[in-house]
This record gives sequence, C-alpha cells and structure tokens, in this order.
Amino acid sequence: MTEQRLDGHLNEEYILQVEDLWVSYQAERGTVKAVCGVSFNLRAGETLAFIGESGCGKTTLGLTFIRLLPATARVERGRIWYSRGTEAVDVLAMHEQELRHFRWRECAMIFQGAQNAFNPVLRIWDQVLDTARAHGETDKKKIRQRMEELFQLVQLEPRRVLRAYPHQLSGGMRQRVLIALGLLLNPSLVILDEPTTALDILTQRSVIDVLRGLKERLQFSLILISHDLSLAAELADRVATMYAGKIVELASVWDIYYRPHHPYTVGLIRAVPTLSGDRGRLISIPGSPPDLINPPTGCPFHPRCPYTTERCQEEEPPLQAVSPTHHVACWHWEKVIAEGGERMLTKAEA
Amino acid sequence: MSTVTLAREGLTRLSPGAWLRRLARNYVLRRFLVALAKIYVVVTLTFFIVRLMPTNPIEAYINELIDQYGFTYQEARDQAAALFGLDLDTPLWQQYLQYMGQLIRGDLGTSYRSKGTPVSAMIAKFLPWTLFSVGVSLLISFTLGILLGMVMAYRRESLLDHVLSALASILTAIPNYLVGMMILVFLGVQWKVFPITQMRGAMSPGMKPGFTWEFIKDIFYHATLPIMTYVLTTVGSWMLAMKSSTISTLGEDYVMVAKARGLPERRIVTAYVGRNASLPLFTQLAISIGFVVGGSALIEFIFVYQGIGQLLLNSINYRDYPVMQGVFLVITVAVILANFLADFVYSWLDPRIRIQ
Ligand SMILES: Nc1ncnc2c1ncn2[C@@H]1O[C@H](COP(=O)(O)OP(=O)(O)O)[C@@H](O)[C@H]1O
Ligand SMILES: [Mg+2]
Repeated sequence: MTEQRLDGHLNEEYILQVEDLWVSYQAERGTVKAVCGVSFNLRAGETLAFIGESGCGKTTLGLTFIRLLPATARVERGRIWYSRGTEAVDVLAMHEQELRHFRWRECAMIFQGAQNAFNPVLRIWDQVLDTARAHGETDKKKIRQRMEELFQLVQLEPRRVLRAYPHQLSGGMRQRVLIALGLLLNPSLVILDEPTTALDILTQRSVIDVLRGLKERLQFSLILISHDLSLAAELADRVATMYAGKIVELASVWDIYYRPHHPYTVGLIRAVPTLSGDRGRLISIPGSPPDLINPPTGCPFHPRCPYTTERCQEEEPPLQAVSPTHHVACWHWEKVIAEGGERMLTKAEA
Repeated sequence: MSTVTLAREGLTRLSPGAWLRRLARNYVLRRFLVALAKIYVVVTLTFFIVRLMPTNPIEAYINELIDQYGFTYQEARDQAAALFGLDLDTPLWQQYLQYMGQLIRGDLGTSYRSKGTPVSAMIAKFLPWTLFSVGVSLLISFTLGILLGMVMAYRRESLLDHVLSALASILTAIPNYLVGMMILVFLGVQWKVFPITQMRGAMSPGMKPGFTWEFIKDIFYHATLPIMTYVLTTVGSWMLAMKSSTISTLGEDYVMVAKARGLPERRIVTAYVGRNASLPLFTQLAISIGFVVGGSALIEFIFVYQGIGQLLLNSINYRDYPVMQGVFLVITVAVILANFLADFVYSWLDPRIRIQ
C-alpha cells in the first residue's frame, strides 16, 4: 500500500492518510460513483483545499472521513488512517463508541449550509454544553470561558450569542458560531465544507478573515472544501482539484494558480474573477459535468477537453508526480504547461 | 440586561398608548384575549339561536305543557317564563343583557327537570369525571403515540413499522362508539373479561372522595373502559403524525450536525429528534381535546359513566334546556381553553413562536 502514498514521508508526519478510497451511492438510476480511488496525505498543521465543480464528490469525501454518509452510500474500498499520537487508527474500522469520540473531539466537520446546523429549540449555550458533555467535559465555568474566547476570535459577542436561540442570529453569525463550536474541543483535524456559500460578499469576507486568524493562532490541520477558488487561494497550503470523484491535480497553492498542469484546473481558475481585479479572460468550462453513474471511459475529462487524443478516450491517466510536490493526472500536461493552457481558453471562447 | 430594565422603566415612563402597544405584543396575553373573545361569540350565538329557532325551546315547552297537562296558553307561558327565568315580554336585547349579567356572576339558571337545582351545581358534579377520563386518555394516547411513532420512524420499512402503520390506520378509521360497543359486547358480555355492571358509574357506591389510594384506585377502575376506548381511537392518529414528523426531523441538518458533534444517541433521540418532531403535534392536541370531549356523550352512555356527556344526553331526553345550554357553554369553554393552553405550551416549547 505504501507505494500508493503520494510521497515517501514518514507516517508520523501525517495527521491523515487516505488510501485508494472508493465511495458510491445506490440511487434509482444506478450506482453513483461519487469518490473513485482518492489517495492523499495531510500533514499536521497543513491546510489542504479540495476544489471542483458542484457534484464532483467533495462533500461525500468529507462525510466519509467522519463516517456520516447516508444509508444509501457505501465505502467500496480504501483506508483512512488517522494519527493519534504515535499510533495510526483506521477510521473506517472504528466501532460506534470510538467513532463518537473521534467525531468533534479529534475531527470536527463544519457543514455546508450551516444555516440549520443548530437545534432551533435550544439556546446556543445548551448546544455548547451538549457538545462538551458528550466528550466528558463537565466543568461549566471552563467550558464557558473557552467558548467566550473562541467567540471573541470569530468576532462574536459571547454573552449575547450564548444566550441566543439560533433564529435570533444571522446566517453569517451562525456560520461563525459553528466554526467556534468546532474548535471547542481542540480537534487536530477540521473539515470545512463550503464555509462561505450562501453568505453575502461582506459576510464571506469576514468569515475568511476569521478562518485566517484562527489558523494563525490555533494548531489544527484543515481540509477545506470549496468551489470558491479565491477562498482556497487565501487559506490553503496545497490544493487538490477534483473531477468526477478523482483527484486530477494536487500541488502547492502557488503551483496550482501559477502553473496549473491539468486543463480542468486551468478552466477552473479562469472561470472565476480573481479578488485582485486582474481578471485575465473570464471563461466558463464548456460542456456539462460528467455523469457519475456512467462515467466516460479513459480520462473522465476527455469529452470536455481541448487536448483530447485517442489515448485519453481509452486509457485513464494515473495521478503521477511530475515534481516532488506536484501531481497531475493528464497525458498531456507538458503540452498544457508549454501553451499556458491556451487551448482551454480558446475552446471556451469559440 | 437592557430589555429587563427597559420593561421596568416602561412601568413609569411610557405613555398609555405605548403601554397598550407593548401589551398587544405579548403573545400569551394576546392569545388569552382571543380565547375570551371566542367564548363571548359562542355564548352570544347560542343565546340568539336558541331564541330565534323556528320552534324555539320555550315555545316547544309551552306547547308541551298545553298538550300534555292541559295548561292554558297563559298558564303555560307563565310557567315557562318562570322555569327559564325570563320575562318573555321584555325585548330580546334586554333579555340578552340580563343573561350575560347572570353568566358573569356564574349563574347558569336552574334545571327544570330537577326543579330548583342550579345548572352550575349539576355541571360541577358531572364535569370533573369527563375531564378526568378524557384527560388521562389523552395523556396516555399522546405519550404512547409519540413513542410508537418514533419507533416506526426509526425502524421504517421494517416488519414492525408495517404492522404498526396498518394497525394505526385501522384504529383511526373506526368511530369511537363502535369501539366502545365492541368492548362492551365482546370483552364485557361475551368473554366476560370485565365485570361491566360493577364498573358502571364514576366510582363505587359509598366511596369517600379524597387523596386516598383506595379512592384513586376506584376511580381508575371505573374509568377503565372509557379510557380504553378513547386511547384506542385516538392513538392511531398520534402514531401516524409522529412517524411522519420524526422522519422529516431526521432529515434536518441539525440532527446530522448533532451526530458529527459526537452527541450520544440517547441525547439526539430525545432532545434533538423527539422534542422537535413532537412540536407540531401540540396544536393537534388542542383540536383533539375538543373532539374527545364532544364525542364523550356516546361513550359515557355506553359505559354508564357519570360525565358531562351523560348529563347532556339526559338533558336532551328530558328537554331540560337550561342544562343543555349550560353543558354546551361548558364544552365550548373547555375546548377554547384547551386551545389556549395548547397554544401556550407550544409557544413555551418553541422559542421561535415566542418572538413573533
Ligand atoms: N444521498 C445521495 N444519493 C445518491 N447520490 C448522491 C447522494 N449524495 C450525493 N450524491 C451524488 O454524488 C455525487 C457527489 O456529490 P457531492 O459529494 O455532494 O458533491 P459536491 O460536494 O462536490 O458538490 C453527485 O453526483 C451527487 O448527485
Ligand atoms: Mg458539496
């Protein structure tokens, strides 16, 4: 299995090691292959962003890590190693009680659309207390103190928020409350699923700032799931581009933005205006997202790709290291770099 | 905090107009006023309907006296006026004011079947038994329905769910008097599971009311069959309502997040799923109180149980109009108060309502 890991580092350095993970949903039309052979390692303290169009399996991936997939989902294959001190435990093999302690205390997942993340009939304080008690913390004074500190960090007025019912808080506030609550137990791993979607621009800005501040102050590894590239650019150390349930490119944030090797990554980057205002040529990726029940043969991106050759239709490119820190799954990555992804742009405009 | 001090200052500083506006925003007070208004409207309607009916009860009674006892019209009219406590020559609006005046003082008139007995005394004697049997039944069936509904939702599509769902649908469809009759005929007469003659009445003769174990055991014994009937005929709808409410609550984000937070299953089932899923059922509880009290007449008749339904049937038999009017009034008030109470409980359980 070791050779499938993306680089040869020692296990202890990683908080999370994912090996060849396959997840599918049983739907009426057939089997939805939502995650197909994902492997990656996450270093302690690192932020890894998963980007990709909606429906490419990002949320499914996150839910798999905390074992909260719906009943129709199945993990077909794979291992998820979580490092607890010096030992590595297989998340997929955890039983109910161990899992309950793993969730939130070790790995907190902050969900997409946190608008309804809180029980509407309980005050925020009661839900904080519930969370703490579930993990054996009973000292109310200490819990309150810790929560007040965290609320300060996410720029919320602690007293008011603790007493409030969820509906008395705005969407942005609720999102920040959930982020703060996620850090209550000092988890070593945090998964943030689309933390800024459904928020207005100003609130998005403040949530991004809050996350940056938290990352600077507190020690945790972060998996950031987003289709918002600017968010990934601001927070991530490394970025993984996902397409049709697969990682198609994995590199440092600088490499992804300035030297994208995969045509799809090129398309994604050009599909959003950058925050600096230098928009380049704004394009959208032509064609429609792949059908995950009957995925294309060969490279899943080939029907939408301007670099497609016969080989792409028949043979699936593996995720290969083109440098120690840059991995890409494309037969033509050299051509893509040489042209600066130009074909992706002209195809879109045509 | 600031709102508290504001409210306190409000006592001294706010103008009367602002005070009224503040009161008008108080949820409980608003609900209470609405309840009072409803009672007023129903009382008024009952008063006029009774008097404006083509064959109004007073005329009917006068005719009865003339036909059966050979009274002259004038004699019969005087007699009727005396019995109903009205002067038939005064204009309607004056009668209305008089009636309302009496009502406010708690005077419901006197029965003319048992001459001179105040209607309020009769109601005070019968009503507690209905409230007792219906109250206990609703408590049992509501609790049972919520528990079974949750079990059905958590085990949905299992054999247990299918059996319980079918049972609940059947129970909901059968009218309560039919269930009462079946209990009487099969469990009472055919198989003699219950000694029905012994169980008649609200308590055993010679039993002294009080907070004694003996007495409590006795009244439950006598109320067993009505309670059984009410529970059987109402539990099905609670089960089905709770099942669907629980299923939709289970799909809520906050339940998923609660799991992600590592809360124990016990806590999620009670405080996150059960509590939220049962909320909408509290409004139905109010409506149900009305139905069960209204439907108690036949059940109390079947089991010879001395409740308000029995009193109503008797008063209809004997054309005891003041009693009839009194019972209707009490049922109305009970239903409206139950609604008010359920609203209140709901607003207490759901903070989102309190704020509006
Ligand atoms: N409960 C489910 N049942 C069936 N298919 C699902 C379910 N949830 C997600 N999917 C499918 O799995 C794929 C990946 O979904 P998701 O992980 O939510 O993607 P993303 O988070 O990247 O938008 C999508 O094609 C989606 O339609
Ligand atoms: Mg998603």
